[in-house]
Amino acid sequence: MLEYPANHQEIVEQFLNGRFILHDDKLFDEVKTNENFYISFFKRSFGYQFEVTADFAYVISDESNENLSRDISVFFAILCYELDKNGKNFLEELEYGYFEYSQIDDLFANSSYTDLIATNNKLKDSSARKNLFNEMNRRNIIAKESDDTFTITPAYKVFIDFAKELATNKIKGESTSN
Amino acid sequence: MRAEPRTILRFLLENFESLRDLYEIQLSDGIVKKEILKTICGNIQSQLLEYKILRTIDDDFEFHSVYQNLIEFIISEFKPLLPETIEKYNSSISKLYQKIVEGIDGDTQILKLRVTELGTEIKAFFELVERNTIGLLKETRVIKANVEKIEYREKIIRASRWIEEYIVPLNRILDVNHSESVANKLHAIGQFVNTKRLSFADEQLRLQFEQLYHLIISINDGLLKQSKIITTELLPLIDRIRTESMILTGWIEFLDNPEKYATPALLRPVRDFAYSDNIFLNTKEFFEQFTKEDAVYLDDERAEKDKWIFNKKFYKNKLQSDLPVNDFFVWCAQTLAEEYKTIELAKFFELVGLVFEKDIDPQFTGEVELQEIKTDKSTIRFPKITINKHA
Repeated sequence: MLEYPANHQEIVEQFLNGRFILHDDKLFDEVKTNENFYISFFKRSFGYQFEVTADFAYVISDESNENLSRDISVFFAILCYELDKNGKNFLEELEYGYFEYSQIDDLFANSSYTDLIATNNKLKDSSARKNLFNEMNRRNIIAKESDDTFTITPAYKVFIDFAKELATNKIKGESTSN
Repeated sequence: MRAEPRTILRFLLENFESLRDLYEIQLSDGIVKKEILKTICGNIQSQLLEYKILRTIDDDFEFHSVYQNLIEFIISEFKPLLPETIEKYNSSISKLYQKIVEGIDGDTQILKLRVTELGTEIKAFFELVERNTIGLLKETRVIKANVEKIEYREKIIRASRWIEEYIVPLNRILDVNHSESVANKLHAIGQFVNTKRLSFADEQLRLQFEQLYHLIISINDGLLKQSKIITTELLPLIDRIRTESMILTGWIEFLDNPEKYATPALLRPVRDFAYSDNIFLNTKEFFEQFTKEDAVYLDDERAEKDKWIFNKKFYKNKLQSDLPVNDFFVWCAQTLAEEYKTIELAKFFELVGLVFEKDIDPQFTGEVELQEIKTDKSTIRFPKITINKHA
């Protein structure tokens, strides 16, 4: 009979619910140890791609939740931009910072990306953003620390890598067109 | 003959991409060369002139300002204007205001026109400021993103130029504390209009002042926001461009048009696992919501229970055919029992009513002993009555 890793059912459940399993999660070691098994398991069982880094693991599929991903990307983009505008090192803030919901409200209220925020249903106001935070919390992209504060988990790196790649492609495109 | 407005709008819609390209060219070159127009829009050149979208400048072309503004507005590609262009509103707004104050007791017709014009000028001023801030934000974000990878020194030169030539003067125009600023003038005009909207004798003019007052209030709010953007984001540009980050470059590009890029794939959660205990029922339930069921009609419960209608003729005939009847009440009970198995009290009393029919002749036998009849609800005791013949 085929041997499954310990906590297999729980691990699969987490991934299929779109969650990131983070390095400090008790399931992470199991996942990391059985990386090859899970690559093959998700590929053969569901046709999903399994990704694991030093900080987190998650699965992705062709049938992606694009709207959510775009909303989260816009959130991180504005957050980074506004933190930088306020003279902060945004990477340090993402990595180590505690965020208060009211602080995020202030940053978004004073952002010059007014139109973009106003037309985004997940970001347009404080209560809409609360819903987005709940979804991000469910997926372990942020961690609620209290009713007023949250931290950002290493899963943010997926979005930061996206921004880096976009910049690289843009710069490449610019230099080839020159 | 002038073309139908709908025809022009449809033309703009169908050829928008080409028009956008032409607009970009005019923005960078200041003009659209005839060779370029031929390459991009050769097939629609005649309509572009016929609909007055383009006009000729010697052998070349340029957009009519109305269409240029329209495209600029639709794609939010505002080119920052030199403050002198905005500053002109300082003069027009001040003059109109001065004339209104001087002629407040004069001809009401001309006063009405001036108040209307003042509102128009204030709106135009605000729109220009708003467009300019958007344009400046775009330009300064380009420097911050630095996709072109220009040297730090060059970045500082460009940023300084924006700050000195555009941002600082714009800030001066919006500085409410500066006595010569437009924002300060608007503040004074707001106070004047506020008194007139409450006290002016002519009702129509009072209403006009009222409208102007609310316009100024909302525009002052808008100007305050613009001023905030200038002080927090545009004036500190030099400081902001000291640091550079690939991540911010990416984000600035992304925020320019978030729909343009494919963002990181996130799994859409599945409904249930294939091996879950609930999968059968969940799947059934899921699919059942799409199956079309026949309409179900629910009748009132009482309607379902017998609304028994006593067929007097039928039972009377039966009674007459059964004559002579030795014991009428027992006959009633038996008749119901044969037909319905149980003897319902209501039916029983209906049937008993036959005894009062004119052509029925009941006879009391004189027997003292009563007999019991059990119905569905009770047990009833009756004397013995016989019916021998027709009355």
